[in-house]
Amino acid sequence: MNALNSPLSNGLSRRNLLRAGGAGVALLALAACRSATDKSSEGAGASATPKRGGTLTLASGLDYTPSLLFAQSAMTHVQRLVFNTLTRYDDKLQPQPELATSWQLAADGKAVTFKLREDVLFHNGRKFTADDVIFAVKNLQNPVRSAQLRSTALAVTNFEKKGDFELTLTLAHPVSNLFDLFEFMIITDEATVEDAVNGKQLIGTGPFTLAGRNPGSSLSFKRNEKYWLPGRPYLDAVEIRVIPQADSLLSSLKTGQSQLSYDVLGKDVAALKGDSQYRVKEYATGAGAYYLGVNLSAPQVQDKRVRQALAWALDRDRLVKQALGGVGFPSSTPWPKSSPVYSEAGAAHYTHNPDKARALLKEAGVDTLTLPLAHANTPGGTAIAQILQYDLKQVGITVELQPTDSATMQKQLISQTMPALWTLSHGFAQLHPATLTVSAYPFNEAKNSSKFSSPEYTRIVQEAWNRADGDSAEAKALYQKISDTLLDEAFVIDLAVAGRTEVATGKVAGADLNKYAYLILDDAYLTA
Amino acid sequence: MRSYLLKRLPSAALVLLLASFVIFAILRLIPGDPATSLAGPDAGPEAVAAIRARLGLDQPFLTQYAGWLGDLLTGDLGPSYAIGGEVSELIGNGLGATVELTLAALLLVVVLGLAIGLVGATTRRPWVAGALRALTTAVLAVPPFVTGIALVLVFAVTLGLLPPGGHESVLDAPDLAVQYLLLPALCLALPSAAILGRYVKDGLERTLAEDYVRTATALGVPRKRIIRRHALPNALPPVVTVLGMQIGQLLGGAVLVEAIFAWPGLGQLAEQGVVRRDYPVVQDLLLLMVGVFVLVQLLTDLVYAWLDPRIRWE
Amino acid sequence: MALLLTRRRRPGLLSARGLTGLALVGAVALAGLFAPLLTSYDPVAQSDLALAGPGADHLLGTDDIGRDLFSRVLYGIRTDLLISFTAVPVGALLGCAFALLAATSRWADMSVQRLFDLILAFPGLILALAVTAILGPGALPVVIVIALAEIPGFGRQLRAGILVQREREYALAARVGGASRLRVLVRHVLPNAVDPLIVQGAVAMSVAVFIEGAMSFLGVGVRPPEPSLGSILSQSMAYLSTHPAFAIAPLTAVTALVLGFALIAEALNKGIRR
Repeated sequence: MNALNSPLSNGLSRRNLLRAGGAGVALLALAACRSATDKSSEGAGASATPKRGGTLTLASGLDYTPSLLFAQSAMTHVQRLVFNTLTRYDDKLQPQPELATSWQLAADGKAVTFKLREDVLFHNGRKFTADDVIFAVKNLQNPVRSAQLRSTALAVTNFEKKGDFELTLTLAHPVSNLFDLFEFMIITDEATVEDAVNGKQLIGTGPFTLAGRNPGSSLSFKRNEKYWLPGRPYLDAVEIRVIPQADSLLSSLKTGQSQLSYDVLGKDVAALKGDSQYRVKEYATGAGAYYLGVNLSAPQVQDKRVRQALAWALDRDRLVKQALGGVGFPSSTPWPKSSPVYSEAGAAHYTHNPDKARALLKEAGVDTLTLPLAHANTPGGTAIAQILQYDLKQVGITVELQPTDSATMQKQLISQTMPALWTLSHGFAQLHPATLTVSAYPFNEAKNSSKFSSPEYTRIVQEAWNRADGDSAEAKALYQKISDTLLDEAFVIDLAVAGRTEVATGKVAGADLNKYAYLILDDAYLTA
Repeated sequence: MRSYLLKRLPSAALVLLLASFVIFAILRLIPGDPATSLAGPDAGPEAVAAIRARLGLDQPFLTQYAGWLGDLLTGDLGPSYAIGGEVSELIGNGLGATVELTLAALLLVVVLGLAIGLVGATTRRPWVAGALRALTTAVLAVPPFVTGIALVLVFAVTLGLLPPGGHESVLDAPDLAVQYLLLPALCLALPSAAILGRYVKDGLERTLAEDYVRTATALGVPRKRIIRRHALPNALPPVVTVLGMQIGQLLGGAVLVEAIFAWPGLGQLAEQGVVRRDYPVVQDLLLLMVGVFVLVQLLTDLVYAWLDPRIRWE
Repeated sequence: MALLLTRRRRPGLLSARGLTGLALVGAVALAGLFAPLLTSYDPVAQSDLALAGPGADHLLGTDDIGRDLFSRVLYGIRTDLLISFTAVPVGALLGCAFALLAATSRWADMSVQRLFDLILAFPGLILALAVTAILGPGALPVVIVIALAEIPGFGRQLRAGILVQREREYALAARVGGASRLRVLVRHVLPNAVDPLIVQGAVAMSVAVFIEGAMSFLGVGVRPPEPSLGSILSQSMAYLSTHPAFAIAPLTAVTALVLGFALIAEALNKGIRR
């Protein structure tokens, strides 16, 4: 057949097609300049000497939430870019100077005196003084800020200034996790703090100033030219791109449109580990641990043996492999390996043992058991919940899944109205163990989502918290008791511990996270 | 024309008012409220209560509703609850991305639709017509998430030509922006292009069969000229109507396409707003979407009436 | 037989288009219907073998938590059809009820029309998110959303049909003969206005499968671990680049169903118009 045998009709349609296609051709010509799918060809060899300049682009799976500036939430990239903290932990949980140059803890643990840096300016040019520290503590005491470390901040009862750069905080009682507070507490400008939580402006002393925000899509930061650390930061600018979809986030790293991310899914991290173009680094911080929560107000689970049966029934190895993509490790305790109370025995306390689970159920006189389980309605949350459901089915426990969106889940968590079972992740086990038990909702001794309380638990928690020697052998013995109680009571059944994973292309060096996963780019630089 | 408009306006306003109430009520029926979402993962009840009071969520339902309508009438959308920033700013930003996507899709709809229609109506080979018919049926029926995944599988995963999703600003990097735009715009445009193509084809076939066309052909007017001068203009009024309806469809479909391709437009904003219970953002956004739909319907009717003099203004 | 063999255009369902549609829907529906015979795997049984490729043991491979994909797709078809065959009749009945109501008075007609406008104007997927947030995920909200979305389609079709039919002579004659307005409507007008509804029914089935898929895609579909075509698709999204085979079977089934119903609707429509 000849394509030209009906010249009239075809001539016309072809011409129109061509005309119409003109626009498309122009677009394609434009597109030919550069490809959005080219693999970046830079090698992984980071040079040893830091270089000044350049813009670092970071891909974030979540957007920044201004109202949660003072509460640890899932997105913590902004806090330490714009602000500073008084001190900063090293890998052994020993505080190091930041805005505070030195400190002295009173012998009874009921006062701490800070000497502050005298050369620090806020982004608006105002000088940083002891008054800003006083405000920062009071700010965290304010219930509206919902700071997890509020209970520790509330232990501070009095402030005494000696000049502008020396300050003594008086405590109602000694606390073993005092420096967890100073790692957490960002120093803000009092006059603009409401603007900060309303998303209007951020004024801090940090290495970068907020240059622009496009809610839901991006944040941009410029170098703070008057930063107190000489020569830092190395970078001229930082750009955070919000890319909620995991595949798109990964492709933005692969194509070099971003160079750093902490939100690559486990399954993708596993694939990148073998690739020399990327550096993968795991931190003992972030959301931390995945757990199965048990609400004791459901009559079927009030017997401790039933809860222990749940803990024995679960195949944690499979959960880590299939739902977390092999990142993290199975564990029946909440602690990461860096924690003073982590032990292999504790982590392996509960293993996958369906027979033992059945025996315990029988012992408790339970024949049939049907329990609802709330979980996040995300692909990851749904996968975990289905694995739990299937494993529990094998020991005769029927689980009804309740996919729940995050806002509802949070309300249920706070108002203690969770169903009999739920699964989520929790943080705060990466610090001094007392912090977990007085700050994190699932474990809070005074009021937790499980509605669990026992005089014994309260006693050891208070004893471990109300002491000055957070790192002593006695303190560690108490932490061990807390860990053992958690395992025995099984109101929070830990499944796996997985911290933040940093994926960086070879171009980036020197990025870091503090213990609350605040992003620190003071020393970061681009090698290309 | 004015009387026609006067007749249509009150019912459009009524739909808007009803919609505003439904939107307002549905949002508050959803469990989980903005205060808990705002207060953070480990907030105490006093923090939640304080936020509720600050946002006025402790006031009676109708008071809140009246307050919202009042704000709307004064044009002050106020700040968002959870996402941060001004609602007007958020919607403006999202609208930019969505309009960018919708316009690109609309361009594709017109180009592809006219091409399909013209070829379909004027081809003399049955297999071409048959293939086009099958193609439009398929494209029309298959939902955008299916075409979306298929497009990603072919162009991003297998061929590696285009990114699987994401967004780049047209102002910052137009060359990259176009690559990000192509797949979502195509995915969004295909069903509407098929519909438009069918209408163009039907319209052309009908006018080509009319007496004056035959007369013109008999008088020796070239067929090209007949189609361009006579058939096409006469086939256009219904096409404009269809196109108008498709704009509404495109805006609606954008929500899903944005989810597939991680496009930071109104769809994502709406989803985020619902998830975080950001009442002001969701309320204003939904009302805007309903408003656009109502407006487009109104305009289509008007344009149709204007293009086709047989419709009388009563 | 002679009719089928002639080269002339065949009417309605027996047209090429109609037969193709019937074949597509039929094949998929049969696969779903005979799921227990076609596979021995339990669609919710998990194993250590996750993300296996297609092979002899698992025809289509396994999903991220070690479930047989072939079995999940077959049972997913069942879920989709069950939801569609429940939701579409409900939507049709409601739509028709509103159309009848509209025929009773000018004022009712006006109100019903605005109601249809309202439903059409409301972004469907946002409605889906809201209904699910209120009721919690599951099959019920999916059925409700589909039924709601179908109301204006059926309602408008019937309303148009009634408007035409009731001006016809037989209807006028019945009125003159003293029959009540409602009686004329139900006994005489309705049966004659019903044809387009059948077409609308096929369109609605196609839309129903679409909505189920879209809702599952946004994470608000049927309750896990029950498989549905949409939920398998949504699950497969995260593995598109590493395990593309995961997406292909549900993609094919959804396409066949939606396309099949659409073809049937078109064929019926042509048949009626003759």
